[in-house]
Amino acid sequence: MLTYILRRILLMIPMLLVVSFLIYLGLELTPGDAVSYMIPPDLGGQISPEQMEAIRESLGLNKSFIERYFIWLWGAVQGNFGYSLSGGVSISQIFLDRLPATLELSIAAILISTVLGTALGVITALKRGSATDITLTIGGMIGLSIPDFFFGLAALSFFALELGWLPVGGRLMPGYETFWDRLPHLILPATVLALSLTAGVMRYSRAAMLDALSQEFVRTARAKGLPEWRVNVLHGFRVALTPVIVLVGFRLPFLIGGSVVIEKVFQWPGVGNEFVSAVRSQDYPLVMMIALLSVLAVLIASLIIDILTAVVDPRVRL
Amino acid sequence: MHKLTTYALSAALMLGTTPVWAQVANPLSDARVRQAIAYAIDMDTIAETLFRGLDIPADSMIPNGEWKVDGLNQYTYDPDKARALLDEAGWVPGSTIDMVYYYGDQDTVDFMTAIQAYLADVGIDMTMRKLEGDVTGELNVPPSEDFQTSGVTWDMAYGARAALALQEYFNVYSSDQTAYTPPTPEREDLIARINGSADPEVLKQAFYDFEEYENEMLSDIPLYYRQLQVYQSDRLDRHGADLGNENFIYDNNLINWTVEPNEDGEEVMYIGGAPEQFFEHRWLNPGGLTSQMLFDRLLTANGSLVTNGVQQAESYTLSEDGKSITFVLKEGLTWHDGEPFTVEDVVWSIETALKTPTMNSVFVSTFNAIEGADAYLNGDAEHVSGIVVDGRSLTLNLIRVDANVLTTFSQFPVMPKHLMADVNPLEFQQHPFWQNPIGTGPFRIEEIQMNDFTRFVPFEDYHGGTAKIDEVVAWPGGESDESIARNAAAGLLDFGSTRTLSNVEALREMDHITLTPVDINYTRSFRVNAFPFKPE
Repeated sequence: MLTYILRRILLMIPMLLVVSFLIYLGLELTPGDAVSYMIPPDLGGQISPEQMEAIRESLGLNKSFIERYFIWLWGAVQGNFGYSLSGGVSISQIFLDRLPATLELSIAAILISTVLGTALGVITALKRGSATDITLTIGGMIGLSIPDFFFGLAALSFFALELGWLPVGGRLMPGYETFWDRLPHLILPATVLALSLTAGVMRYSRAAMLDALSQEFVRTARAKGLPEWRVNVLHGFRVALTPVIVLVGFRLPFLIGGSVVIEKVFQWPGVGNEFVSAVRSQDYPLVMMIALLSVLAVLIASLIIDILTAVVDPRVRL
Repeated sequence: MHKLTTYALSAALMLGTTPVWAQVANPLSDARVRQAIAYAIDMDTIAETLFRGLDIPADSMIPNGEWKVDGLNQYTYDPDKARALLDEAGWVPGSTIDMVYYYGDQDTVDFMTAIQAYLADVGIDMTMRKLEGDVTGELNVPPSEDFQTSGVTWDMAYGARAALALQEYFNVYSSDQTAYTPPTPEREDLIARINGSADPEVLKQAFYDFEEYENEMLSDIPLYYRQLQVYQSDRLDRHGADLGNENFIYDNNLINWTVEPNEDGEEVMYIGGAPEQFFEHRWLNPGGLTSQMLFDRLLTANGSLVTNGVQQAESYTLSEDGKSITFVLKEGLTWHDGEPFTVEDVVWSIETALKTPTMNSVFVSTFNAIEGADAYLNGDAEHVSGIVVDGRSLTLNLIRVDANVLTTFSQFPVMPKHLMADVNPLEFQQHPFWQNPIGTGPFRIEEIQMNDFTRFVPFEDYHGGTAKIDEVVAWPGGESDESIARNAAAGLLDFGSTRTLSNVEALREMDHITLTPVDINYTRSFRVNAFPFKPE
């Protein structure tokens, strides 16, 4: 087992290298660079091509692509992710500043979606074919189909602007500090984000529950005369929960990347929002850091799931 | 044979050393073709419909007002005349023009589509593409040394020019800056005239002559003036202060503004313009309310950006020949951190600005005119010899008249040498100072939550008195940010300005918001590549 885990961890290294190179290459192929964005076109003509080159040289952008990649890589290996090209702030600092906001939003959304999705999935499975099942299934499909930003804008318009119950955006009002102060700001973005995730969890847990309920041990439990709620909860639900946990595990990387769209819609000062700005301004050290950590989170989540699967089914270790 | 191919072959034969495939003749070098394009577009209808009546059709790059000459050709929509001019110029119907643009909004796409239809109607096919990446670079590729072949590959570029000084509209045509129109002796002379005097009447006549010249030449085909829409909530009282060009700094009576107190009895004003990752440095784009709150200037300007008084300076004197200006600084001014504001800060700021590439062109023009600036930039001198300090007095000796020297010092913010002395001018924006800047202005920063909000409070030692508002909260986002409408609707925006049509439309539906259009130096046009040849 230990060999298997070590082998998987070692495999992550070339994967990370390849992915980092591909992201870097993608940024390189994008027209322009960070310096291009420093002078708005409406103010164009105010800086000569020579001056632009001088800035590029100062920021190390006129080196060859390969050279820049290896400089970045060498720094990253040593834990130095560099500085934002547009603002000069340490990338690690930016990440540390933004991460709490993203974690707050993502954890809340995952919690809501897991609890709500599982509960609704179980209900629809238990009431299979009923009006409740059909209604919730259709609702789930709608939830999967409608884009986040639409939900977000509609929720903002109704709950924040029309009813005035909740703030229109941001993470905190000036002068307030605690989590409880932040809670009203969290409700809308977390709920909107959770709704789209809920639909997936609901569909998944419904299928898992139906599958569990059709197993022989459930029939046996029922034949033994156990109360229906015990059959459903202790026998059916416990078994159905396993694939749901795997699904939630696959969503852990989401904690890092957050939701770019929702953060943008709700002016949430998290990593996703920062990522949008960084891509727009071609701030490649920042893009690299955020993208790579998201990839790393995916790999780690995948590793954890593989390990758990291997524990359950030794054949995968072969 | 297709006429463009003929042009290409003749071009190659004329230039000899240039390969046939390297360049093609440019029909837009004929002024009649440019005029035909101007006649082919019904800008009045576009402004009224597509732009919802918010834009004003333009007949010159220079905005309407006292600096605009009367009697310019309006190029009123006349497709027959456009066709006749094209025919006269030998235009082959169906020949294609490559139009580029750089705005990403739907209005621009709609506008481009309308232009495509208008041009097709007179026999001009138009392709369009959005510039991505190094937009400024692609718009400003220098031409060949003999000014025969453009460096830019496009035929026409839709864009805007936002100017601090009117000279900026025409200085871009000068032989050392031009990217899309070949210099002519007449134009070079006109450029020298609009920059060569401090006398407003002399300058005005020079501008009139330039406008008439360009009205024929159409290096830019002027399209429309976009006004700035200043919004103000009914909570805010500016106590009679005039509205002006919010894109720059003007005397707006900020310290006397008041807002309705909140439930705690505090006067809190909400605005936009807070930083997302860093505060924008103010030597390129000096304007904005947050810039004004933090940084005072040596001089002040009125809403039309005409110098009207002093701020950090106690007095100033411009010599009769316009080649020397002396400032005497106020005594006892301090930075927000309590350090004294000195003449050394001013000298350091000017010298550093000379070496900073991301700099407003009006400032560049002024500082380059200081005696000894060249030697300083070349590394032959440690300081600029034309800057003379005597106690609180600072004299700048200029090698030539700079028409905008007063404008420069009503906009240029002096930076604290004691916090920025180690800055690399090439990485001016990347200095840690821009994470939490200080100035000598009426408000100082109390709290920054990057990309969330910034709180400003009155600077108690401000030389002009303490501001009446207790606190200013700024949200992130610029004038085109969609959060403007949302924050305003929620009562969390009291003052600001925007040129974005969707924001304007949303704001004017709100009962508690008053929108006031303000004329500014902002003209949208088609830059026309008029060099005889262009790269293929």
